Amino acid sequence: MKRLLMLLLALSLVAAACGGDDGGGDATAAPEPGATTAAPSDDGDADDTTAAPDTTTPPSDDGQTGDEVNLRWMTRPDNPEEAAVYGEISDQLNDSLEGITLTYEPGSNEGEGYQQTLLTNLSAGTAPDVFWIPGTDIADFASRGVILDLREFADASGHSDDDFYPGPMAHLTTDLETGQPGNALWGLPRDVSTFALYVNKDLIAEAGVPDPLELEATGEWDWDAFNEVVTGVADLGGEIKGYGQSNWWGPFGAWLNAAGGGFFNEDRTACALDSDESIAGLAALRDLYATGATIPYGEEPEPPFRAGTVGLFQNGRWATPGIRTVDFDWDVVGLPQGPDGPGNWLFWGAYVVNATTENPEAAWELVSALTQADVQAQISELGANIPSRVSDDALQAFLGFTPPENNQAFLDGLQQNPTTEGPLWAGNWPEFSNLMGTEVQAVVTGERDIADYQTNICSETAPAFEG
Amino acid sequence: MTTTTERPPATASARPPWYVPFVGWRVITLLLTLVGIAAVLMRRGIVVSGPLRWTAALAFVGATALAVAALGYTLRPRHVGRVGGFSLDFLIAVVAAFVAFNRMDMFTGLDAVGEAFNDSAGWLLVIVLGWLVSGFRSGQNAAVRTAARWTMLLGVVILALSMGLVPGVVEFISRLIQPEVFPIAVLAVLAGTSARLLWSDAATRFYGSDQRQLEALDGMLFVAPNALGFLAFFAGPLIVSLFISFTEWDGLTDATFVGLRNYADLLSDDLFLRSLRNIVVFGVIAIPLAVAPAVLLASVLNSKLPGMKFFRAVYFLPSIAGVVGVTLIWKQLFDSTVGYVNFAILKVTEWLNALLGSGLDAPQPQWISDTNIALFSVIILFVWQQIGFNTVLFLAGMQGIDGTLYEAAELDGAGPWKKFVNITIPMLRPTTVFVVATTTILALQLFNEPFILQSPSPPSGPGNATLTPVIYLYQNAFQEFEIGYASAVAWALFLLIFGVTLLYFRRSREDGVLTT
Repeated sequence: MKRLLMLLLALSLVAAACGGDDGGGDATAAPEPGATTAAPSDDGDADDTTAAPDTTTPPSDDGQTGDEVNLRWMTRPDNPEEAAVYGEISDQLNDSLEGITLTYEPGSNEGEGYQQTLLTNLSAGTAPDVFWIPGTDIADFASRGVILDLREFADASGHSDDDFYPGPMAHLTTDLETGQPGNALWGLPRDVSTFALYVNKDLIAEAGVPDPLELEATGEWDWDAFNEVVTGVADLGGEIKGYGQSNWWGPFGAWLNAAGGGFFNEDRTACALDSDESIAGLAALRDLYATGATIPYGEEPEPPFRAGTVGLFQNGRWATPGIRTVDFDWDVVGLPQGPDGPGNWLFWGAYVVNATTENPEAAWELVSALTQADVQAQISELGANIPSRVSDDALQAFLGFTPPENNQAFLDGLQQNPTTEGPLWAGNWPEFSNLMGTEVQAVVTGERDIADYQTNICSETAPAFEG
Repeated sequence: MTTTTERPPATASARPPWYVPFVGWRVITLLLTLVGIAAVLMRRGIVVSGPLRWTAALAFVGATALAVAALGYTLRPRHVGRVGGFSLDFLIAVVAAFVAFNRMDMFTGLDAVGEAFNDSAGWLLVIVLGWLVSGFRSGQNAAVRTAARWTMLLGVVILALSMGLVPGVVEFISRLIQPEVFPIAVLAVLAGTSARLLWSDAATRFYGSDQRQLEALDGMLFVAPNALGFLAFFAGPLIVSLFISFTEWDGLTDATFVGLRNYADLLSDDLFLRSLRNIVVFGVIAIPLAVAPAVLLASVLNSKLPGMKFFRAVYFLPSIAGVVGVTLIWKQLFDSTVGYVNFAILKVTEWLNALLGSGLDAPQPQWISDTNIALFSVIILFVWQQIGFNTVLFLAGMQGIDGTLYEAAELDGAGPWKKFVNITIPMLRPTTVFVVATTTILALQLFNEPFILQSPSPPSGPGNATLTPVIYLYQNAFQEFEIGYASAVAWALFLLIFGVTLLYFRRSREDGVLTT
């Protein structure tokens, strides 16, 4: 009898692993063949976002089951709620894309984890058919032949590059031979973002300084006005500070951009950190931090901003969901005008197609569907993204997702000739970024003389352009 | 399975009835391993890129050697042929079963197993109750036990049905007969059957195995699961990573063999040398701080004072808390503007000023962003995490010290301090060796704490103050696609840890602390 019981239990385990079910609809129910992975639960458990895919119909080696094409796709959500929305979108597309069965894989909800997961899967040959990568990684993936040039499929489907912001499309169409925009198509942007200043309106009122939103409306929102507001708020004393930015290339880069400088020369083949304009931007930032009116450089400003002790906090749209939980009056305002304008960034990432996919045409169809206006509006409703498609429908929907009331500040950032985040087609961006970040921090914190920086920084970052 | 004590004396005997098909199977396995080598090298059927390709080819060469030995010493029966054949069959059965299950998507179905158990937990309870009642030997009559057994059987049947036994088995069979699965499943069954045959008494007689050889074979089978895990998840990746360290490889395209160039580059790599300097400074400060106070703390916790069990648990708590959660909490505490550490410094200074009438300024260190302090902050966090665990180890060591030593010392008039210095400390030397060695290894592998503490800033910290070898490895591997160079960093770190540990143990042995 014991053997019979053990046999039954073993068979039950096998049956459960096969997702077998009598159709009773209980929790052991097998999803419909090829159904999309269940979205993470609402309990906020980050582990849920890494749940294994759950399909009942094993795809054959060519990713096809009968007439159905099975596609796996992966994108990095910023939080469990966003992962749930991507799961819902996958379900919807599962219904609307004929002959295509989708499996959504969130990868991980932490940036580093996603990168590791993706690289490991690519090395092992098990990466999904379609996946998301940051804009700065496009060159690495395209030049190594890891992602497909989709132009052939795009042309056949009536796609137009003009439907998306030109900055990301310049990188996504870059020709591998020339390193310049050409006729390739490495993917389509999932979403975009820009910087804005999150404003603690209660602190501004308490300090009695001019309201940045009003200054912006009257065209007076420049570096001088900005400094006045920052020092005015900090004058409240105690732990109150006027401004804070995170310590990575984006925030300080905006200051270089606003002074007319930047990281690279025009064709992005050499360092431009030592140009007079770049140095002017960095010097302005250093001088601001030297006043002591800011959160110390390198300290994370979001916690004190959320604690209500910082007047202005520079960050992208992705910070909005977190800021929505604060209990003071807040809004957003655009970056102040520098000598060369507001100097914003256009951040983006793209859906690309695995070069080893067995179904490139279906994969393109999925990429195209994922970047339609209605899908992008659905994702941007959560507050962390701006649609990448230049579509009135998507942008109008975005404006309605409040707070903040002044969502227009983000869209203005997109219109004010922002510098597009991008890879180095003729160099190693992560290496450049690491080398540059360390030295910029040394200047801003006063540990390195800016003249010495100007003399040497481009030779110090030169290894990033070698080999 | 027949136990070794029941087996007949081993003498080579005449060919068994299964000899001819068995030799055929040995030929087939030899051909399979040769096909495997060709498939890997020609990239047909088994497509693995980069260094993995050569590792896979090497594995097939090893399997071929086993297959040759198995065939040769089956034709001229020797025990070595039995061992080779058994090892090869066992490996083929395990690998083929794994591949077949993988192609059947059985592993991704493990989630469903968990869910099914969750939903059927009530029936599991019925089964367990039935089993418990049926197991009672006294105070109940046979009818009750029979009823309990039937209840248990009923519970199992209902559990099986509620877990989807019937449709599940149908689904299993439908997946099994898929063309890309069935031949592999057949291979697994054949290899398993052959292995079982080689395990039989008939095989003992045929190969002339003696008792010692039989026991060795038994031992091999007992360690096989662990050995397989070790090979697959530790030794295998270790060897692959050593091979990768001699290549230039981005993890995505083919690798280029560069010999020792990666290691030579390390010697002139300022960032790598900086990471080594940081980890040495970290180790020199953090290891004594994580060990010495733990001895004192353990001696306090070893006392008979009331509430000591509670405090033992409290001090151990940081060791079992997740490093990510703990580090995030410390990140908040270390925040220079709204963190509690600086707040405490401020309040203490205010209190001192009020008490002494002084006008001291409260220092507000930038614990995470100051080049001169950032590494020290990581040390504080590391020591806080490790000290509790080390305390528990010392506590265990103290409780193993013979109490008569203390009694004798008391008779000689020794006080608590003399007893601690002259008895406790010397008697704890073996524990101290272990604690220092494990803390050193953990310290040299430092990664999570600075990585999370500095996030979203680069983990190397201000002025590379918190750049450790493992962080440098991570940056090279996952940010710059330099997997070959990152592997060289990993092996350099391994040699450092191995060297330090070896020196330490050798010194301890010379001092007589370790006897083996």
